Amino acid sequence: MAAVAAETTTGQSEWEVAVPEKPLKEKVYFENLKAQVIDTELCSRCLTCAAVCPALPEGITLTADDKVGFPDYEEKCLDCGACVRVCPRFEYEPKSGLGEYTDFIAGQSKRFKGQDGAMVTELIVSAIEMGLIDRGLFVGRDNRWATNIFHVRDPEQLAITTLGGTKYTFASVLPELKRAVLLTKSGVGVVGTPCIVSGVRKLQQEFPIFREKVKLVVGLFCTENFHHTEISDYLQKKGVDFSKLVKTDITMGKFIATMTNKTVKFKVKALEKILPSGCNVCTDFTAVEADASVGSVGSAAGFSTVAVRNENARRVVEFIKKRGYADFGEGKPEELAFLVGHKKKRAENIPGFQDQEDK
Amino acid sequence: MKKVSVSEQGLVEKAKRHAAAVGVAMKESVTPLTATVFYPRERKKMPDNFRGYLLFDPEKCINCWECAFICPANAIQMKKAPAPNNRFYPTVDYGKCIFCHFCIDSCSGGALRTTKIHDVAYREMGEMLTLTEEMIEPPEIIREDKKSVEYEIEKDDLHLKRTREVDGLFVEPTPPVEIPMVSQCVDRASCLGCRVCEEVCESGAISSSSAEGVLEAEGVLRMKIDIEKCTGCGLCVKECSMQILRLVRRGK
Ligand SMILES: Cc1cc2nc3c(=O)[nH]c(=O)nc-3n(C[C@H](O)[C@H](O)[C@H](O)COP(=O)(O)OP(=O)(O)OC[C@H]3O[C@@H](n4cnc5c(N)ncnc54)[C@H](O)[C@@H]3O)c2cc1C
Ligand code: SF4
Ligand code: SF4
Ligand code: SF4
Ligand code: SF4
Ligand code: SF4
Repeated sequence: MAAVAAETTTGQSEWEVAVPEKPLKEKVYFENLKAQVIDTELCSRCLTCAAVCPALPEGITLTADDKVGFPDYEEKCLDCGACVRVCPRFEYEPKSGLGEYTDFIAGQSKRFKGQDGAMVTELIVSAIEMGLIDRGLFVGRDNRWATNIFHVRDPEQLAITTLGGTKYTFASVLPELKRAVLLTKSGVGVVGTPCIVSGVRKLQQEFPIFREKVKLVVGLFCTENFHHTEISDYLQKKGVDFSKLVKTDITMGKFIATMTNKTVKFKVKALEKILPSGCNVCTDFTAVEADASVGSVGSAAGFSTVAVRNENARRVVEFIKKRGYADFGEGKPEELAFLVGHKKKRAENIPGFQDQEDK
Repeated sequence: MKKVSVSEQGLVEKAKRHAAAVGVAMKESVTPLTATVFYPRERKKMPDNFRGYLLFDPEKCINCWECAFICPANAIQMKKAPAPNNRFYPTVDYGKCIFCHFCIDSCSGGALRTTKIHDVAYREMGEMLTLTEEMIEPPEIIREDKKSVEYEIEKDDLHLKRTREVDGLFVEPTPPVEIPMVSQCVDRASCLGCRVCEEVCESGAISSSSAEGVLEAEGVLRMKIDIEKCTGCGLCVKECSMQILRLVRRGK
């Protein structure tokens, strides 16, 4: 009977949950989130809130206009406050700069093809091979370039060539991360824009299951991203045929859509009209909270720039070096100065920022 | 190689054995000892754990599909009951069933049970596929037997024991073994405080300090599972989106 007694001690029947403060006391938490983040156009569309919202299946989702919402919140919000606890922009502390790093390198994978040097793919796959994680979440796409999320558990899955490469469209990485965390045995690796990385850190700060199971967070350098309907309408107007589109890229101030038969180029400035409001107030270019951040600027063409920030990522890079999976060179942090500065200036667009400056 | 040979017997021994054989032959011609059961006028008495025709009680079925998964002959298919029920219940194809009764052993609700019926007649193969609704009541039974028969071994011989009674075809099912379980929280810090568990619990076992004003005053939500009230149904475990509730064995 000893075993039976032991089993009953594996759980608790009483516990406490700290509830966050409500600026609008009379309203449900979602209305607070809406008032503070969504209506003020601070929302980055990171979907951290949707990852934890328990009011399934009607809870926080994407509305028809590709924005974050909860159509029936007055009826269906459970008023638990989880969304407010995890939203990185509820009490927005904008981060910027290069962040802390131990190594700043350029890398080119010998095994995989990617947007630049495919170092993101290399980091995740190597982490799987090391046994650090048993799955990595990749952002794939359909033939209309709408994003979808893949759990990569085996390097062979990278035969799906659409998994690497940049999609300039928001992706539901974090709701899928929640599922991955509940499924994984050893751990999950996740890739995302700086806003997604901040969301992961908030989830880890609030909930032990994310602390224990998310073992590698790879951030991407990011100036902006787009809503799918808006960017695809625009690209179509510019003569981009999605059935022939193989790569999208932003370099040297130009948006380049490479198709099998031709290439369409135009200035990124032209996309300002459809710049999402959340990106307009985003100051983090290098994903300062990631374990490693990867981008295109700061290294030669064909290479990815990698800022290694934490011990776990450093061990993965060591593993890649030891196996000879990639060629390495020096990264040039000074080349990031312009974009880092460009994004830092966006703090001016944050409501209340001017008032604070004036005081 | 070893050859089998007839054992050496003396004349006296041989004569003795012949005499015994003639004795048995004479006895049989006067009182013959047959092992034949005159079915259908009499039936063999079956033990209570006889693996026969299956009966099914949908009230006890928890729709877990275990019987269909375990059936080694693939005789069980789950069929959806019409709306508003919409649940899946087993059907049995007696053209395939090998009467192993793994299904009964696997049924945690005790919905499947055995009978001593072993002689169902079908007009065609298709009829052997027995639908759920046909498994609730036994098939039409025509009984012509007046006696039941048991084999008995008496003085090294097989005897038939006939009794003037009709053996019952139905046995009380053995109730499934219930393991008392109780819901517990295994990761308190990951609780959202959504109270979905409290909402779904039909026994009122989960409570929270969410009453008007209390939350605001205390700044914390207090969650409690009353293990006296918890029936271990597992609904809360299924519905908790953070998957932090587990059913654990109830301690003594
Ligand atoms: C929206 C966006 C804007 C970017 N802006 C810049 C920039 O201004 N300057 C710069 O230097 N670099 C930028 N990058 C990063 C750059 O485009 C490459 O992703 C990076 O250099 C890594 O290249 P790689 O060959 O190592 O990656 P690969 O090995 O090709 O892997 C790419 C990874 O990116 C992930 N991914 C693709 N699209 C998305 C998405 N929409 N959301 C989340 N994850 C995604 C994929 O899952 C994959 O894991 C941006 C990336 C994105 C997604
Ligand atoms: S149910 Fe909870 S997480 Fe979902 S919107 Fe309401 S308060 Fe936020
Ligand atoms: S910023 Fe992210 S977490 Fe906050 S409301 Fe928008 S999508 Fe949700
Ligand atoms: S600029 Fe990039 S990191 Fe910032 S909110 Fe937009 S997509 Fe997210
Ligand atoms: S197991 Fe059933 S009875 Fe027990 S707390 Fe959960 S829902 Fe209530
Ligand atoms: S359903 Fe789960 S997360 Fe929600 S209050 Fe209950 S235990 Fe907490």
